[in-house]
Amino acid sequence: MTEAALEARGLTKAFGAVRAVEALDLAVPAGIVLGFLGPNGAGKTTAIRMLTTVLPPDSGTFTVAGHPHTRPLEIRQRVGVLPESAGYPERQTGEEFLRYHARLFGRSRASARALAGALLAETGLADRARSQIGAYSRGMRQRLGIARALVNEPSLVFLDEPTLGLDPSGQRQMLALIRQISEARGATVVLSTHLLAEVEEVCARVVILNRGRIVADGTVAEIVRRAAAPRYGRVRVPPEAAENALTALRARDIEAATNTRPGELDLSLRADDAEGEVRAALRALLDSDVAVLGLELEGGRLSDAFLTMTEQS
Amino acid sequence: MTTVALSPARRAWLVVADQELRDLWLGGRGLALTFAYSLLLSIITYLTATNSVLNFLEQREAVNLTLQIGVAFGALLVLLTTADALSGERERGSLESLLLAPVHRADLVAGKGMAALSIWLVAFVVSIPYLWFLARGVGIVGVALAGGLVVGTLLSLFLAGLGLLISSLATSNRVSLSLSLFVLLAFFAPTQLPSSAQQGWAGDLFIRIDPFSAGLHYLGKILVDGHNAGQEIAWLLSPLIAAGSAVLAALGASRFLTLRGGGPS
Repeated sequence: MTEAALEARGLTKAFGAVRAVEALDLAVPAGIVLGFLGPNGAGKTTAIRMLTTVLPPDSGTFTVAGHPHTRPLEIRQRVGVLPESAGYPERQTGEEFLRYHARLFGRSRASARALAGALLAETGLADRARSQIGAYSRGMRQRLGIARALVNEPSLVFLDEPTLGLDPSGQRQMLALIRQISEARGATVVLSTHLLAEVEEVCARVVILNRGRIVADGTVAEIVRRAAAPRYGRVRVPPEAAENALTALRARDIEAATNTRPGELDLSLRADDAEGEVRAALRALLDSDVAVLGLELEGGRLSDAFLTMTEQS
Repeated sequence: MTTVALSPARRAWLVVADQELRDLWLGGRGLALTFAYSLLLSIITYLTATNSVLNFLEQREAVNLTLQIGVAFGALLVLLTTADALSGERERGSLESLLLAPVHRADLVAGKGMAALSIWLVAFVVSIPYLWFLARGVGIVGVALAGGLVVGTLLSLFLAGLGLLISSLATSNRVSLSLSLFVLLAFFAPTQLPSSAQQGWAGDLFIRIDPFSAGLHYLGKILVDGHNAGQEIAWLLSPLIAAGSAVLAALGASRFLTLRGGGPS
């Protein structure tokens, strides 16, 4: 069995009367990309700060690659972090910034220089290596932050909102970089983001946090199933057959209604067996000799599950 | 995955000091502060030299006055630099990256403190020609330079420790700078007391306890009164204790260096 990259038990942190994270239990297998989701204020950043030893937990324990939280220096040697809204020294160049951090991780001057160059190339910043960070765009700063997170060849990388403030093209580039970290470097990635469509694309597993507690943990499919998020269907039939179609569907106890577009019917599907109901609807229409011109299914995505779970709890 | 067996920087404070020195001097801030320092010293030297020529001020007193102002202002520059050192990082959002490095927080504090002290050393070097110009002919150039270096270094260490301590715990840069200046004024105020308030055992004790008063008083004793430097060394006890305590307090408080400031969280 592979050793867990990260294991946390009962991790709790409060700021005064506000309990930011409550009894967090988490085990992240090595080598995966974990989506760490939650609405604003759910406790994601606090949890990441505890797991990266920046904040001491009030109670609970955790290990990173088998190293206990009581040995913060050992953990910091093994984790790479892109903090949320990270700031940078404006007057330093990108290369100088990376060199400095590489040296803090024990690299010699020469090795730090070589590593800085390699990381700048890997993150697409090679041509701006000698520009002051003050002149970097938001996307470039985020990529520099990722390069900084990789100076120690970490086995576990925390990325806290890496796509925050990036345009769609920047978001795509960032996600490609995250895939690269996971696939080429073999590192475990904990990705905190609000881009749920991208989480579906890159994350093998998802944890949803709400009000400091984990409300869902599993693969995207498992979470969607468990959330029983509402699903909707839209059937297109010839406009003159719409009334017949409606009657046929209702006869089979399928909740259907016409909408403003001629020939379009909206179906409200049971969350626990949406696919079965769609099959029944198609059968009903075909049995009544109604031609089906089109069918779309909506809902049943991570975003629906996210909303259901965070609104319920 | 290619893993590299890394161990934390062995002398991390040196790595921090190295980068801080670059930021301070190549970033231009150190040069701007040194320029302001030399401008002030030029004005003071001009005023004391002309007063001395007009016999309003004895030459030894002119040297003492200039040196005291040089020492006080040089130490103030150290305080300004250290007061911004950690709260500034916190305000710019760059502290978290430093806290994520596998180095002890005391190393971060020590490295920043060492770099800040460089501003005092540069200020002292800048003051040498001014002191030589004022002290030539009365044979106290060496004493003035040695005394100034010792007192200035002790007071700079004291203020560096104080600035770093406040900066570690302050919730904002503005709080850190204002509190540091307030504390500096509190320590500096006794030096401006009228001589009547400095009489008697209570006045003497008060001057000896306050590190600024004691240090500057020491300079007066060896420069104006012509006393032997060793004979008056007891006056350096308070600056020495203050410097040691402030540095130890700053290193100790580094354990409470947090992202939000305000002490342990």
